[in-house]
Amino acid sequence: MTVAALVGLAVAWELVGRLDASMFLPPLSRVAVTWWQLLQDGTLARAASSSLVSLVKGFVPAAVLGVVVGFAMGRFAVVRYVLDGWVNALMSAPLSALVPILIALFGVRDTVVAATVFMFSFFVIVVNTLTGVRGADRSLVDMARAFGATEMALFGRIYLPAALPAVMLGLRLGVVQAVKGMVVGEMLISLVGLGERLIYYGNTFLITELYAVILSVLVVALLAGHLAQACDRALVRWK
Amino acid sequence: MAAREPGAAAGTAAPLPITVEAVSKAFGAVQALVDVDVRVRAGEFLSLIGPSGCGKTTLLKIMAGLVPADRGRVTIGERVVTGPGQECSVVFQDFALLPWATAQRNVEFGLLLRGVDPAARAARARGAIAKVGLGGFENAYPAQLSGGMQQRVGLARALAVNPRVLLMDEPFASIDEQTRRVFQDDLLGLWSQERKTVVLVTHSMEEAIYLSDRVVVLSPRPGRVHQTLDVPLPRPREAGDVRATAEFARLVDGLWKVLRKLQ
Repeated sequence: MTVAALVGLAVAWELVGRLDASMFLPPLSRVAVTWWQLLQDGTLARAASSSLVSLVKGFVPAAVLGVVVGFAMGRFAVVRYVLDGWVNALMSAPLSALVPILIALFGVRDTVVAATVFMFSFFVIVVNTLTGVRGADRSLVDMARAFGATEMALFGRIYLPAALPAVMLGLRLGVVQAVKGMVVGEMLISLVGLGERLIYYGNTFLITELYAVILSVLVVALLAGHLAQACDRALVRWK
Repeated sequence: MAAREPGAAAGTAAPLPITVEAVSKAFGAVQALVDVDVRVRAGEFLSLIGPSGCGKTTLLKIMAGLVPADRGRVTIGERVVTGPGQECSVVFQDFALLPWATAQRNVEFGLLLRGVDPAARAARARGAIAKVGLGGFENAYPAQLSGGMQQRVGLARALAVNPRVLLMDEPFASIDEQTRRVFQDDLLGLWSQERKTVVLVTHSMEEAIYLSDRVVVLSPRPGRVHQTLDVPLPRPREAGDVRATAEFARLVDGLWKVLRKLQ
């Protein structure tokens, strides 16, 4: 089904593109050829490698810290009361608007991109982890306590496995957000990565190249999402 | 915390008496229990029954050391209860099985928390699973088992640590009638082989009469001991047709007359 839908869309794109109705809609085949050229001459590889480094530098701390903060909020009412408002506000805030502040803080450097990635993915990971911890079955906790479980045992043997599906969902959503953050950050500083290429080709009306880069970003997002999903499947087999 | 091997691996530890003295408990403004006194003899099968909201589950959790009493005290054997103890096992209404673990690993869980080594753990869990009639289902996950089978896993987990006191919180409430009757008979069979002190919370009059030596009736909020009834039905009950006898009907009716006045 998915394949059929994709093929249908590709054919439609190609046909409409060949009508030559607008320079902003080149046929898919021409985009593909351009994509191949950009891949051959190393443009995409250079841009993508810079982007991926920022993605990893932003997402890994967001994942680790997000899970830790989510657990702390889930287990300790004090932490929850202090952070709940902030997390909810920042999760729904238009984060792109905050990137200039990051630029002011870090200067126009790729650190801003990593920071943007962090900011985009952190909150959704926190909220999902928190939901998972809060959702841990009360009677499982009672059961473990009745057998004499210590706080450490409760954490490792009840809360952690109980929250794992929600944590993994948070990481999957987080990695998608991270790719968005990566592109937004790069476009705003217009210096490095796939985002810089998007701005460059957009401003110089190299529309075919622009589409080739957009497709590359999609590929990165899909691959990151699939990787996260594979981790999810491997860790949460019982669901 | 030092984890001691609970009881002997194979033998059965002697049952312990439970004394509940003047226990009161409030949740916020709601008085759940007031001055509750219950004495459970060693090796006795005692049921707690009462209208919903009478605090019977709270009383059981206080006995288990899961909920602290506001006033009064609970003693199990020589130990004054201040938290969960090694001599107790609890069976939960909703089974409380780890959904991510197989039946075998679920039954091993209590032993794991009490520091029993892996080989002994596996062997004792297998034994407990066989005892509750679930041999062959060791590798099944809870979601793959029926409600009755899940509760058998819950019972096996409770028995695997060889407790001297078994606290059961409406263990058959989420199980269909036919399965429940077979399970009740199996429980009585197990109990006659391994004498333990059993406290059972239930809302079923038939269940209370069929299983118990005595039935403690709690009054509705705030919960107090309203009356204690003796159940002089001969044992073993699981072999015969006790439910069909006039004496059984008379006892259930007597319990109903007490409960009806409390509604």
